[in-house]
Amino acid sequence: MIFTNKTEQLFVWIFFPLALLLPLFLEQNVFYINKLTTVLIFAIFVMSLDYLVGRCGLITLGHSMFYGLGGYLFFMIAPEYEAVNFWVYTFYICVIAAVIALLVGVIVLRTSGIYMIMITLAIAQMCFYFFSDSIHFGGNDGLFILMKPDTSLFGLAFFDLDNPIHFYYFCLLSLFNCLAFWKLVLASRFGRIMDAVKNNPDRTTALGYNVFLFRLISYVMASALASYAGYLFALQYGYVNPSMMSWQTSGSALVMSILGGMGSIYGAILGTAVYSGLHYIFEHMTEHWLLPMGLMIIAMVMVFKSGIAGFIENWVERRK
Amino acid sequence: MSQDIVLQTEGLCKYWGGLKALDNMNLAFHDKSLHGIVGPNGAGKSTLLNMLCGTYKPTRGRILHHGDAIEDIRAYEFVRRGIGRGFQKTNIYPQTTCLENCCVAAQRRTGGSFNIFARRNRDKLLIEMAEAALEKVGLQHRRDAIAAQISYGEQRQLEIAMVLATAPSVLLLDEPMAGMGHEESRLIIDLLQTLKTDYCIVLVEHDMEAVFELSDQLTVMVNGQHLVTGTVDDVRNDRRVKEAYLGQGDEVI
Repeated sequence: MIFTNKTEQLFVWIFFPLALLLPLFLEQNVFYINKLTTVLIFAIFVMSLDYLVGRCGLITLGHSMFYGLGGYLFFMIAPEYEAVNFWVYTFYICVIAAVIALLVGVIVLRTSGIYMIMITLAIAQMCFYFFSDSIHFGGNDGLFILMKPDTSLFGLAFFDLDNPIHFYYFCLLSLFNCLAFWKLVLASRFGRIMDAVKNNPDRTTALGYNVFLFRLISYVMASALASYAGYLFALQYGYVNPSMMSWQTSGSALVMSILGGMGSIYGAILGTAVYSGLHYIFEHMTEHWLLPMGLMIIAMVMVFKSGIAGFIENWVERRK
Repeated sequence: MSQDIVLQTEGLCKYWGGLKALDNMNLAFHDKSLHGIVGPNGAGKSTLLNMLCGTYKPTRGRILHHGDAIEDIRAYEFVRRGIGRGFQKTNIYPQTTCLENCCVAAQRRTGGSFNIFARRNRDKLLIEMAEAALEKVGLQHRRDAIAAQISYGEQRQLEIAMVLATAPSVLLLDEPMAGMGHEESRLIIDLLQTLKTDYCIVLVEHDMEAVFELSDQLTVMVNGQHLVTGTVDDVRNDRRVKEAYLGQGDEVI
């Protein structure tokens, strides 16, 4: 069992069955299914950021660059009028994003703290303006993906990307896999050194580890999964948009991660769900939804000192 | 000295702009012995230690480890060559157990640190190595205690255990007895007494009693300059050392 923490087990056993059953009650309502799918996809993205910020101590404001790249990369490498294989292109996109992350990481990881925030922001903004100003990539309006990929594997078609329910379940599976993946990484020998790097980098160097390399690997892994999330997002509605890369996307992802409980990984799902839920509620109540939203987030961060995950953990502890 | 020279510096210099933190150091550190380094504040003792473990790069001069020049390699590669370093300020992972602290230190030896699929606590060998390191410093009863919650003296012991867990041949210790009570110091002195039969230890320390008791060789530094190196008795009777520490004979303090 990779979920060692009690609260985490509780969360996994409640959240995933609930998410599995939810579409049964929403059978008729495609709008809500799509909405939930977007939350699931974004949770994958927030999770990768949560790992970087909460578990590696690498605070980045440019993570949205990889989220956006996930979508744009598909447009760049896939032929326009031909359905390509979904699995093959998932692999391609993750690998290309990893290579880009490797190059960016070599530059970015030479800095730390506030300078790293600045430089990641700068690179992401460069990328954002490149795509929003280029005619070839549709400028501000973004692009439509004309042909969605074909998901058959060895000649067997499991699911249809255009079917919202199928796509919902696929995203849920992806989310679960990502959660399991990050838990595996955290529980590994690599994770031990990464913890050490986060808690005391100087000491870790003095024990003979190449701290830079450990950070780089983490950065590459998180970026690859962020672009996977972006790729799923692009496939959901069949279009990509430069606003996926904007710093607001990074910013709100960071807020979700903090809200959920930084470094807890599963907290990213909670954070994303709560944030998106609040967003939806306030948006329908008032035109000035940002005001109550902001107040609500301030209140929640003050009440839940270590995020929602931390709050639940304390609660479970006290119940025992 | 009968033992082999493990670590050697040749004309080692470190300048911070115009300030000569360390000037023209020629020292040799022998295997299975303890080399004490003393000197007033600002003498360049810590600078020397920082260069011996690769944290600072020398402005000029060479560092030889078993005859190989190593002054240009990265800091983490010093550890791989067997040069371990303990810090002046307690430098541990406070939120984890003592055993885990030593596991981090020992894992470089067992390998697999880049393996994201190997579970961290499955390796018996690693745990054994970490336990052995704790045992050497006498902390086995604190195995599962959180490092932040053990006493200051024990943290200093843990610090040394972590260095030992990297399997060094050279131990660079920066004031391991700083801020300790008499009894706790005694513990560390006894520990170093046993360790020096196996390792080459370079000890920077302010506690003169301890240094005189432990050192096989003793170096006195003043203002980044090398003053004198010799046995404890040589140094004790050296006129220049008395001047450096106590001032000129006719000066009124």
